[in-house]
Amino acid sequence: MNRSQPIAIGAVLALVGLAAFVWAFAVSGVLPVVLGELGLGSIGWGSFLGTLGGLGSIVMAEQQRAAAQLMVNPSAIESARLAVTVGAASWIAGWFALSQGLTPAAAEAAVDSPAKGKPLFPRLANSRDFHWGTLAAYGFGLFLAEVTFLLAYLLLVGKSSAGGAVTGGLAPVYAFVVALGVAVGVAFGAGFLGAANSKRLSVPEFTIALLYFGVPVPIFLSAMHHVGWLMINVGYKLREVVYLSSLLGETRPELGYWLVFGGLVLATFLGINLGFVATASGRFDLRTSYESFVASRHVSVFRPRLVIGVFLVLILGIVPPLILLAIVSAAEAAVSRTRIKKLGLADPLLAAEELNRQRLSAQTPTAMMTALSVGGVGVGVMALIIVLSVMSGFEADLQKKILGTNSHGVVMKYTPEMPEYAEVMEKIHQVRGITGATPFILNEVMVSSEGNISGSMIKGIDPGTVGSVTDLPASLGCTAGSPCQPMEALDDPTKIRVKRLEPSPGAGALDERPATPESPIIRDPMIDLPAEKPDESVLPGIIVGKELAASMRVVVGDRINVVSPLGGELGPNGPVPKSRPFRVAGVFYSGMFEYDSKFVYIHLREAQSFFGIKGASGVEIKVDDVDDARGIMKRIYDALDGYPYRTKDWGEMNRNLFAALRLEKLVMAIILTIIIIVAAGLIVATVIMLVLEKRKEIAVLKALGVPDGGIVKIFLSEGLQIGVVGSALGLVSGLAWCLFIEKVGIKLDPQVYYIPALPVRIVPFQTVLAVVIAILVTFLASVYPALKASQVEPVEGLKSE
Amino acid sequence: MTAPFLEVVDVYKSYFLNGKRIDVLRGVNVRIEQGELVSLIGASGSGKSTFLHVAGTLDAPAAGVMRFKGQSVFDMNDAQVAEFRNTKIGFVFQSHFLLPEFTAAENVAMPALIHRRERRATMTAARELLERVGLGHRADHKPGELSGGESQRVALARALIMKPDLLLADEPTGNLDPSTGEGIHGLLREVNKDLGITAVVVTHNEVLAKSLPRRLRLKDGQVLDADLA
Repeated sequence: MNRSQPIAIGAVLALVGLAAFVWAFAVSGVLPVVLGELGLGSIGWGSFLGTLGGLGSIVMAEQQRAAAQLMVNPSAIESARLAVTVGAASWIAGWFALSQGLTPAAAEAAVDSPAKGKPLFPRLANSRDFHWGTLAAYGFGLFLAEVTFLLAYLLLVGKSSAGGAVTGGLAPVYAFVVALGVAVGVAFGAGFLGAANSKRLSVPEFTIALLYFGVPVPIFLSAMHHVGWLMINVGYKLREVVYLSSLLGETRPELGYWLVFGGLVLATFLGINLGFVATASGRFDLRTSYESFVASRHVSVFRPRLVIGVFLVLILGIVPPLILLAIVSAAEAAVSRTRIKKLGLADPLLAAEELNRQRLSAQTPTAMMTALSVGGVGVGVMALIIVLSVMSGFEADLQKKILGTNSHGVVMKYTPEMPEYAEVMEKIHQVRGITGATPFILNEVMVSSEGNISGSMIKGIDPGTVGSVTDLPASLGCTAGSPCQPMEALDDPTKIRVKRLEPSPGAGALDERPATPESPIIRDPMIDLPAEKPDESVLPGIIVGKELAASMRVVVGDRINVVSPLGGELGPNGPVPKSRPFRVAGVFYSGMFEYDSKFVYIHLREAQSFFGIKGASGVEIKVDDVDDARGIMKRIYDALDGYPYRTKDWGEMNRNLFAALRLEKLVMAIILTIIIIVAAGLIVATVIMLVLEKRKEIAVLKALGVPDGGIVKIFLSEGLQIGVVGSALGLVSGLAWCLFIEKVGIKLDPQVYYIPALPVRIVPFQTVLAVVIAILVTFLASVYPALKASQVEPVEGLKSE
Repeated sequence: MTAPFLEVVDVYKSYFLNGKRIDVLRGVNVRIEQGELVSLIGASGSGKSTFLHVAGTLDAPAAGVMRFKGQSVFDMNDAQVAEFRNTKIGFVFQSHFLLPEFTAAENVAMPALIHRRERRATMTAARELLERVGLGHRADHKPGELSGGESQRVALARALIMKPDLLLADEPTGNLDPSTGEGIHGLLREVNKDLGITAVVVTHNEVLAKSLPRRLRLKDGQVLDADLA
């Protein structure tokens, strides 16, 4: 029988099966969502997912109809069920036929070879096996790692009860770290054992394990979000995982699943590599004495010229070192040429010897490639460190300014007023972790002066306690410990410093009347004059931001009007806005343009009477640990017995800003990691060039008794040396740049960026992470060339001359 | 009865040229006793080098058995084979195949370093050995600075540093002029006599072959004692 026949039949059958799955899928209404969302149908396991989803939706069909989750008619379910059965049978039969076609029929040799029946060379006999045990180790290991992660996390993390309070268990971060650690260990071990079993990398086994055992779990979790009944039945039980993933993936839980999955795959891959390197040669051996000796001679990456050159390029950019190099080598060439010529005139042979020495010390192309690779890794690491540090600086600066002007958290009620704020504050002060609390009233008003008008946020504050929560006193130029004049003025308006010219005797040009009215109006109850207004000359104080003061053209002591559309009286033409004059008691500068141009502060009691609010609208809170603000606010919520109170922490209040910042940071990190991957491509090319250049040496080393594992170690070590030196140079120059930005500074336009200079904050964790990622990437990059090197047959290499 | 030193039984090996199979070794059977100094001669392309490579485990045969002191060499795994090459066999090739990045002494020391011997003692031993082959003054030169004869002496020293049981030399003097080659031959005889190392020397050099105690000839894929062929 012709061999192409079963292949064609098999392919057709498998395609029919696939089509049946897809159809069943489409009928059940899941396909468009899942495929559209993930675009996964094209990479191999679409059919597997199809089986899973299709089967699932058919099994669940009865419940589905009862719950009316999806609008699917029963006959469609029937036909989908049929389609899945037929599809599965066709799929299996198709692959069987394919495998029959792909297995070549036993060659019927026309003539027996002379060696017929002789003992086969043993290593030839077992070199081509498909290792089922390895497949099992990889597949089950990966699956087990995923399940371990989910179970361990669910077991460890604190359970949130119905009331919203978290009880028992670890905080999500620690539970995540522990669960991930265990799962990574499982994945690594599985990879190691699998590779140790087959004594090779077993790429086909890994591919099959990945596609059919590894990928389905994150697919399932991702699909869960789009399939109603799955979310109801499974998603509820996994709600902590969903919460964690949405933290990891910035509100997109799918991203979180795939991040964790990627980590586990990486761990498996590393395990496989290490397992192979350790056992492929038939014994466990991780020593690298001669291997690194040989490797360091091959790449010679520690040449001072290379290291200094790359460092200069990283610090100064490409052009200045190139100019420097041009000058130096021109001078060198000029000197040595004249010297050789002079030498040659005296003694031709000595000159020839000198020329030969120069030729030997000239750089080979591989040496150039090595330098380029080191530079590439260095640039990647440096850029990653600088950008992440600057972005962290932005984040820290923003956080400092937001937290300086705002509180760490607020307690509010579902009603707009909180008359019992004093009792609330008392309860709050008993909660652990609270360093300050102050009542406030917040509202929107118009502020007008003679020169201008502006919409502002007005905040009624208690001057006595506000300093314990925000940095307002500091923004006013007050130092801690000493009395704050603008604050006192807010409390007692007569203390407002009004700039007046000193009354000089004899000069009649100035109004010398005292600031109190001399002749009070005689009030006759019969005439019904409006109640006596408060003393107009002693106006309540108001504190305005620096930018606002500038645009309103007011200074301390000037009058401004605050106008509120709310709470006014009814006039002849409808409601009349309520207006009241204030005197500027102080000007604050927080450094955050948004606050300096928008906020005004008045005394709490003025706000109460102005807006007709009893008590306060809420209580602002400062905590001792900013990062645990969420937990402390939760404790306050519990201490206040929940409803009708509600709490918010600073993260929630500025959620959009920080989420945007973190997303930006993530995107930058990904983009910059791509730089490192490009550099890794350079390393792959360099090490492949080394392997090609050293084919003969590899063969010789093998003849001298280096096992395959030793060759792998030599070339891994070469890639790693490039990576380590590049990363170290990148680290040093990145930190140098950060230091430069911090000490010397790069000016920014504060109107645009709200801050005067580029901020920088070196976070040790992410700096170390950048280096570790770079080294890991370079290590992985040299795996393939190292394997190629180990496959060089000694005979092939020795023949090449 | 003790097992023979080296016993090769029914070894087959083929090459593939343009998809056609060429059977080079067709059931080679050889026995070599300890301490022998054997020359292997034969026409070009008769498979002398192939036989040497197979015997040195550098090349895999299609079928056959090889026993070294009673131990089946082809049944060893990769690590054991590497160990076998490292400790039991010394190779000398037609071209010296020294590692260009390392000095002569480091090249000589390499097998011992691979065996994870201590670096300093090994380097001393390597220098002594270079002294013995008459190259003590060139120990710190790289292969690029050595002449052909000097390189071949370094290669011989490298083959001897592990005190192997068997020395396999593949036309060691093929690239050298007769007088330089004679020096190498002298060294080979000395090694065999003084150190008791069994040696198999593949050669085209009839003079050399005649001067060695035993001669093997490879013909039609079989190895026979030359005097019988």
